[in-house]
Amino acid sequence: MKIQEFTASAHNFEECMKCTVCTAYCPVVPVNPRYPGPKQAGPDGERLRLKDPYFFNQALKYCLNCKRCEVACPSGVNVADIIQAARIRYDHTPPKLRDRMLANTDFMGRLARPFAPIVNGMTGLGVSKAVLDATLAIDRHRTFPKYSGRSFEGWLKRRTKEQAKFERQVAYFHGCYVNYNYPQLGKDFVKVMNALGVGVQLLDKEKCCGVALIANGMAKQAAKHADKNIKAIQAAVDKGLNVLTTSSTCTFTIRDEYPHLLQKENDGIRDSLLLATRYIYQLLEASTAQLKFKENYHVRIAYHTPCHLEKLGWGIFSYELLKMIPGVEFTLLDSNCCGISGTYGFKKENYEASQAIGKPLFDQIRSLNPDFVACDCETCKWQIEMSTGFTVKHPVSILAEAIED
Amino acid sequence: MRFDTVIIGGGLAGLTAGISLQEAGRKTAIVSSGQNAMHFFSGNFESPSADRDRIAALFAAAGVRTNAIDGQMLMPMGTFRDASLTLEDVTVFPDRHVADKALIVNFTGFHDFFSTFIADALEQDGTACRIRFVRLPEMEHLRLSPSEMRSVNIARAMDEHWEKVVADIRILHKDEDLILLPQVFGLKDASVLDKIRTALPARVAFIGTMPPSVPGIRTQMLLKRRFEVLGGTYLMGDEVTSAALHDGIVSSVTTRNLDTVRLFADHFILATGGYFSKGIVTTPTQVHEPLFGLDLDFPENRSAWYRADFFADQPFMNFGVKTDEALHALKDGEPVRNLFAIGSILGNTRKEDFGTAAGLAIRTAFAVVDNIKGENV
Amino acid sequence: MKRNEYDVIIVGGGITGAGTARDCAMRGLRVLLIERHDIATGATGRNHGLLHSGARYAVTDQESANECIRENMILRRIASHCVDETDGFFITLPEDDLNYQAKFVESCLAAGISAEVIDPKEALRMEPALNPDLIGAVKVPDGSVDPFRLCASNMVDAKIHGAQVLLYTEVTGFIKDGDTIKGVRTYNHQTHKAVEYYANITVNAAGIWGQHIADLAGVKIGMFPAKGALLIFAHRVNGIVINRCRKPANADILVPGDTVCIIGTTSTKIPFEECDEVRVTPDEVNLLVEEGAKLAPALASTRILRAYAGVRPLVSADNDPSGRNISRGIVCLDHEERDGLKGFVTITGGKLMTYRLMAEMVTDLVCRKLSVDKACETAETPLPGAGGKNFREVAEKIWENPTTVQKAAVARLGTTANRVQTSDSLDQSLICECEEVSVGEINSAIERLDVSGLTDLRRRTRLGMGTCQGELCGCRAAGMLAKAHGCADKARDDLKDFLTERWKGMYPIGWGDALREAEYTQWVYKHVLGV
Repeated sequence: MKIQEFTASAHNFEECMKCTVCTAYCPVVPVNPRYPGPKQAGPDGERLRLKDPYFFNQALKYCLNCKRCEVACPSGVNVADIIQAARIRYDHTPPKLRDRMLANTDFMGRLARPFAPIVNGMTGLGVSKAVLDATLAIDRHRTFPKYSGRSFEGWLKRRTKEQAKFERQVAYFHGCYVNYNYPQLGKDFVKVMNALGVGVQLLDKEKCCGVALIANGMAKQAAKHADKNIKAIQAAVDKGLNVLTTSSTCTFTIRDEYPHLLQKENDGIRDSLLLATRYIYQLLEASTAQLKFKENYHVRIAYHTPCHLEKLGWGIFSYELLKMIPGVEFTLLDSNCCGISGTYGFKKENYEASQAIGKPLFDQIRSLNPDFVACDCETCKWQIEMSTGFTVKHPVSILAEAIED
Repeated sequence: MRFDTVIIGGGLAGLTAGISLQEAGRKTAIVSSGQNAMHFFSGNFESPSADRDRIAALFAAAGVRTNAIDGQMLMPMGTFRDASLTLEDVTVFPDRHVADKALIVNFTGFHDFFSTFIADALEQDGTACRIRFVRLPEMEHLRLSPSEMRSVNIARAMDEHWEKVVADIRILHKDEDLILLPQVFGLKDASVLDKIRTALPARVAFIGTMPPSVPGIRTQMLLKRRFEVLGGTYLMGDEVTSAALHDGIVSSVTTRNLDTVRLFADHFILATGGYFSKGIVTTPTQVHEPLFGLDLDFPENRSAWYRADFFADQPFMNFGVKTDEALHALKDGEPVRNLFAIGSILGNTRKEDFGTAAGLAIRTAFAVVDNIKGENV
Repeated sequence: MKRNEYDVIIVGGGITGAGTARDCAMRGLRVLLIERHDIATGATGRNHGLLHSGARYAVTDQESANECIRENMILRRIASHCVDETDGFFITLPEDDLNYQAKFVESCLAAGISAEVIDPKEALRMEPALNPDLIGAVKVPDGSVDPFRLCASNMVDAKIHGAQVLLYTEVTGFIKDGDTIKGVRTYNHQTHKAVEYYANITVNAAGIWGQHIADLAGVKIGMFPAKGALLIFAHRVNGIVINRCRKPANADILVPGDTVCIIGTTSTKIPFEECDEVRVTPDEVNLLVEEGAKLAPALASTRILRAYAGVRPLVSADNDPSGRNISRGIVCLDHEERDGLKGFVTITGGKLMTYRLMAEMVTDLVCRKLSVDKACETAETPLPGAGGKNFREVAEKIWENPTTVQKAAVARLGTTANRVQTSDSLDQSLICECEEVSVGEINSAIERLDVSGLTDLRRRTRLGMGTCQGELCGCRAAGMLAKAHGCADKARDDLKDFLTERWKGMYPIGWGDALREAEYTQWVYKHVLGV
């Protein structure tokens, strides 16, 4: 037995040196003093909870799970993991109806899609917003993302043969957002991949990654999703395929939250599940494929790094790809949380905090006044568009519009 | 990914090297496993005056103003330290009689600013001190959390409300010729410091608090931004997990986040710091450098690593990676030809040549940058 | 009554002295307790904090075992705020003799200790930290007890009953009249004054230092100092006490106490002269981790906070100078009977668990000598702070929705937490973040619990006992003390002493995270704060 050669603790909580750096980078601390802060809620609280579960504090729910504390921590403590794991372990209050609705993104999507025009009309109406606000505590300032009448899955299924013609193949984990709300991103992705000489397949039955379930106290349900997704992705990996995504949060959830929070072993798929931007960058860097860009494409882009992309450390691939496009004037926005954090900002009780968190980012965007904002995350997109009026585009969509048709 | 230089460690040493290299047109990446010791920076560079102008110029270009004055710096516990180059937040006094009368202003319930100790020490050197507290309604919400009356949290509030505090202090002020305030101002924008100085009817000195250091965080932020504006790549929250080292040459390093996308470079600079940042790792029997397995001297008998008096010079603080004169790191007695070690990972072993802490970080960074630039001429 | 005159003077502010002061005071005696340092600075504060069920002694010493279980049940009642009813396992590992288990269980039952054989798999489910190779487990009513709190509560109750307590006051000699001790000469290390105090009886309750006190009185007690080293791990690895089911040996008890867990002990004879300066050696540290990891394998890779050592006050039962006949039992010496010295009695030996019984025995003796006829009530009367089913119930009785700070205060102070100011957010502000010690709790300790410095404050609040070992809270609390005592100079020196005292326990385990913390603390105090 190796005696004290290294130390191990749940999410490295014992590596904490009490330096308080995490607190300086937490976006919630300055706007919501009811939140005990990452250090207290995380490593400090963990020792107390191990002493007695009675020390569990409901205020841990104010954590955005943005992981900025983890990115900042000089000691490698997975602070947000400690906090989320404590919520899963100790918080047994059943989630509210509102939270269940917000969390079940794929269920809501399936339900809403056939009635998309009606639902979109309803959720956009002032009256229904007031009703949602009053009955479900979904903040009236929020506009629900529009539901698309046709799912992305259906669109791609109809093109199965055409895609199969490409010699090189990838599978695509599109996520709920592309499927139900914004199939255009999926179509843009397919366009770019095809331009690179790569065909796109669907996975065999993907489920919502479950990030919203975890955030809303439904870890058990999230674990079921995890099982199904790991199985579906594994099947693709076994066929020698990379599985690509266009959502930084889905990617992060499947790669890291599954093993860390849901105790789902994903070693077999983790390295093959990649953000499209990373995959494209690698293809281009290795010169195994080229993209032909339009000559008259001139835009000023301000790029916002979503929290989970920051945590993944893969923002660099998006920056490098966008900088590669001739005619792009690229500015990297300061690394700040936009405040939405998935379903967090939709809740009435979090609305003010959510907007206050995002303010430095919104201010910077306004002062830069770019043609549009670029970002790899769907919920950041809603938040930035709602709060600033600037259009937000996914880097893959930007690539799609910048390449020759 | 290819770079001219990859720097492992994004603290003061790594950023100084990174900025200097980018300024010289070298494509540089910094891999930083989280934030760093700049967050505990006293504001005193503890550097011999030799490189003072060069340091000041590098910082000025990043928007960090410095004071190049020889004198005494008043520390948070009321003691004094020699200073020759400091951040602009630090007031350097010619001697310990800092004023005839001083007003020390603290925030009610802020336990990380040691007004009682400062007053006691200053009184001994002939400064009559008065301690007063301010309490802003705009800050009261902070108190809802028991751990939020801390420097950075107050500083965030001060970014918005400093003028109100200044108004309160103007009322509190009588005839003192010096006003002492905690360093909780100008987190976002250091120009607030001058505005406060102008707005108050006496000289103002900002005195340090318990970490996190507000001037340190601002400086770190500005240096990082400067590095990125110059075109540098800063990989925050990533960590080098292994390195390819063959025949005395490092060809690439692998990081936790980028894994298969390895970082290739002509030169590598190791600026991973001491124990705190795990640049040096210890076990019950070993002191080692975990990435490259570089040479380190330490006594085998663990008892010889420490002294019983905590405030004595602790032997373990002197353990550091061995280098040749050009700061090439040594492995098995031989220099690794394109790997340099800078900053705290050297321990205090090079104290005599380079000064301690911040001085060591900056001056070893300069030495290595000059070396790299020279090699390619 | 003359000034400085008492019925009884008790020498020693450990748990025995505190318990004796309480018992004497409750029987109506005028009591003065004199302690050279702070409360609980000797063996009281330097052990496992194990609420023995007595099982450990059942096979070898039925009498001790029986004493333990009786006192165990009493402490659960009278000191519920100091006790954590965790239960304990005695586990058999493959290298141990499983036959011993049957004998062990039988002996426990004979001593009145409930002992239930548990299937190893079930034991592992109940306590996942257990070595999974175990082949046997027995559940006994062990628990943990906080010795600082227990000592402080006894002290507080003694004072409530009229006792006076003098800390930092050293007995320098005795006032004798022929063959009778009439009082003590003392020197106060804080006021630097020498004062004489008089009493009909002086009780020597100075633990291992009792030998020296007896010397001063002119009688001989043969103490055999045995050093026991222990390690504190940074968090609770286990929720249930883990013992080895075999004859007592080194490092075979792992006790979860408050936010940490403690492995111990070793046993080494040391010369009496070294009692004041015991150090933990690297060999002892290695042994503790290696043996500890056999009980709970996680210990091999769990962060260690500190190492410390205590000296057991073992005494030769019949004044046998060879030390061959050493007893771990209670030794109550009537020096009038034994040595012809009147007005002087010694209470020693025993253990933390039996402090109350020891106090009762010596108080009975004192009462007999003073012809006071009042029965002992300490076994029935709860200590201040005791009460309630658990700390959750107590907390919710005091506050409707207790905050974390309030919960932490109740977990330490029990029902007396209601005296801690928490209504104002200023009072709820944290000083020690690792152990959740608030401004209010520190103020309350300074006001009520005889605190003269940071180390005293630590014993009463757990300030600086957490992960960072005083790095964050040391200077904050020093600032508060400087203000409260109006003396910044003293507080600054005190801060240095405090950090050096914390370091004393850290450097024997100074590697890995402990050394990282030490480097950080060096920066903060030397370079940032300028101490």
